[in-house]
Amino acid sequence: MADRIEGVKKLFTSKSARVETNRGDAYYEKLFQKCQARIEELKTQQPINNRLEISDVLENHGIERRDFLKWASAVTGMLMLPASFTPLVADAALLMNRAPVIWLELQDCAGNSEALLRSDGPKIDEIVLDIISLEFHETLQAASGHQAEKQLEEAIEHFKDKYLLFVEGSIPMADDGIYGTIGASGETFYDHLMRVSKHAAAIVAVGSCATFGGVPAASPNPTGAVGVMDVIKGKPLINIPACPANPANMVGVIIHYILTGQVPELDSLLRPKFAFGYRIHDNCERRAHFDAGEFVEEWGDEGAKNNFCLYKVGCKGPMTFNNCSIIRYNEGVNWPVGVGRGCIGCSEPDFWDKYAYERPMADANIKAPTGGVEKTVDEFGLGLLTAAGIGIGIHAAASSLAGNKEEVGE
Amino acid sequence: MKPGYKQVKRMTTFMRLNHWVVAFSMVAAVITGLYIGHPYYQSFIADPAVGKYVMAWNRWIHFMIAIIFDVSSIVIAYLYFFSRFEKPYKKLIPNKQNIEEFGAVVINLLTLNRKKDFDSTHADSFNTVFFLLFHLMLAWMLLTGLQLYVHGLASGESSIGAWWPWMLHVATDWTIPVSNMLIGSASPTPSIMDVRISHHITMWFILAWIVFHIYYQVWRTIFWKEGDIGIVVSGTKYVKEEA
Repeated sequence: MADRIEGVKKLFTSKSARVETNRGDAYYEKLFQKCQARIEELKTQQPINNRLEISDVLENHGIERRDFLKWASAVTGMLMLPASFTPLVADAALLMNRAPVIWLELQDCAGNSEALLRSDGPKIDEIVLDIISLEFHETLQAASGHQAEKQLEEAIEHFKDKYLLFVEGSIPMADDGIYGTIGASGETFYDHLMRVSKHAAAIVAVGSCATFGGVPAASPNPTGAVGVMDVIKGKPLINIPACPANPANMVGVIIHYILTGQVPELDSLLRPKFAFGYRIHDNCERRAHFDAGEFVEEWGDEGAKNNFCLYKVGCKGPMTFNNCSIIRYNEGVNWPVGVGRGCIGCSEPDFWDKYAYERPMADANIKAPTGGVEKTVDEFGLGLLTAAGIGIGIHAAASSLAGNKEEVGE
Repeated sequence: MKPGYKQVKRMTTFMRLNHWVVAFSMVAAVITGLYIGHPYYQSFIADPAVGKYVMAWNRWIHFMIAIIFDVSSIVIAYLYFFSRFEKPYKKLIPNKQNIEEFGAVVINLLTLNRKKDFDSTHADSFNTVFFLLFHLMLAWMLLTGLQLYVHGLASGESSIGAWWPWMLHVATDWTIPVSNMLIGSASPTPSIMDVRISHHITMWFILAWIVFHIYYQVWRTIFWKEGDIGIVVSGTKYVKEEA
């Protein structure tokens, strides 16, 4: 209850999803100088552990500087900055190795790490993420057990209050958190997260599990899984939901941090507005078919062949805030709606229970407030009408049998 | 007029007009709303998309009706307190007289009109509470509906200015956690889907309300013999003159 009241307060005081993109020349002039000063300062610092230079890595992957600059201008656009910021963004990308990052993996499928690596033909987003100074990532690093533990302690000590903490995966809270333990000492995920987050400069929850509990938190949620924001209070926290989170948005957040030293503007669910400030639906390539009432009725039908709207096979684009209809995945190659498979609302809270079904919400089984019975809203409604009808029928029958008082009296 | 009966005024012209506007709007809102929730008929596949804005028209009608409801609701809310005819709020105050009247009307309904110990020349407390229920559900539909609508104004702009989405957020964002509570969601983080579910469920409650409303008015007409069903047309009914 207290949480919910807190939620109401938060919603009341939060600004709308709006991102002000035209704040005037004076504002951007000032911001430019501020970012420039910060970049200059970072340039004087040495790269931390990762000795890779992005220019070398890009060259090794056969990517020309021209492509890199094109990418930089795209990121500038994504961050809703004027084109004049492009050189700064390019510089910031080169300086990614100045930002120490500790990456924790908790209860999840490693899909976000996978998205970040994209080992098959990495594109610039993924390469740039390779450049960050990843101080600890148990899934990727060679060290394990006590060695890994030691490395983590060293990283925390060395970059105290300076490192960015990326968290992937939910936190199981049921039965004192025994459903997820890590390391040689069998520390619970909760304790592990609390310990590592204590000295983080900021926390970035990556993917739906870390943000809202995701799939592990789906009904009946046996492990009592929750997101990072449900357990950590009083720290700068950025949520980058989606399943998996788009590497472009991770890059956007880190570049924003490098450019300004601050977290980007967030919405009421702590998602960066540059990425989650608009609906999938409004930028969808199939939107015209929605308005026209042209829907795919079943997989592989004539509508599907004609790229009709996927609303009736469960697309949740109209209720989902994310930028995948614009930036897509894998460096703009494609995205779910593009391949003819509706959006499952993976960047929204409780997506597995409330969004990810292959039919419109009106036809989906929703858990009744009592818990057990799952019914569609319409089944429930028809039941309600039937109950009302039966009640009325009984009353009407009784009334007509009993006759009118006055008739009886006369 | 039947001898021994007098004609009493029960609804003003505006109230009757409003009743029918709301009634027809409700039918249209349900028809279009069900289509938006689940498009239950297909548009002609051979026509180009540009010529048949089926979903767009359904949504347009749904939103236009919402605006009619908005205006009607604001007026009705005003009349609750400032009507020059009958101020409904006076029947809602839980004082002794109202509670007794409420009970008497319920007993009248349950005893199949065997007992009728209240004055039926004016709006009774039971019906006023019943209507309040409807007005609260309608207000909830408007607020949740505006919340669903503002999602499409994510840019923060609208054809009438930035104040409009801003105002909608301020006025309706609280419906997200409240919907979450109403649908009994186990999730700690309220989701905008909760609003959609609540909006859809409330439609069914309103339909159930309408079914009872129509039945009750017909029942009163038959058993009270005061011509109640005519109120919404002529604005008057007939009651026995006290001897």
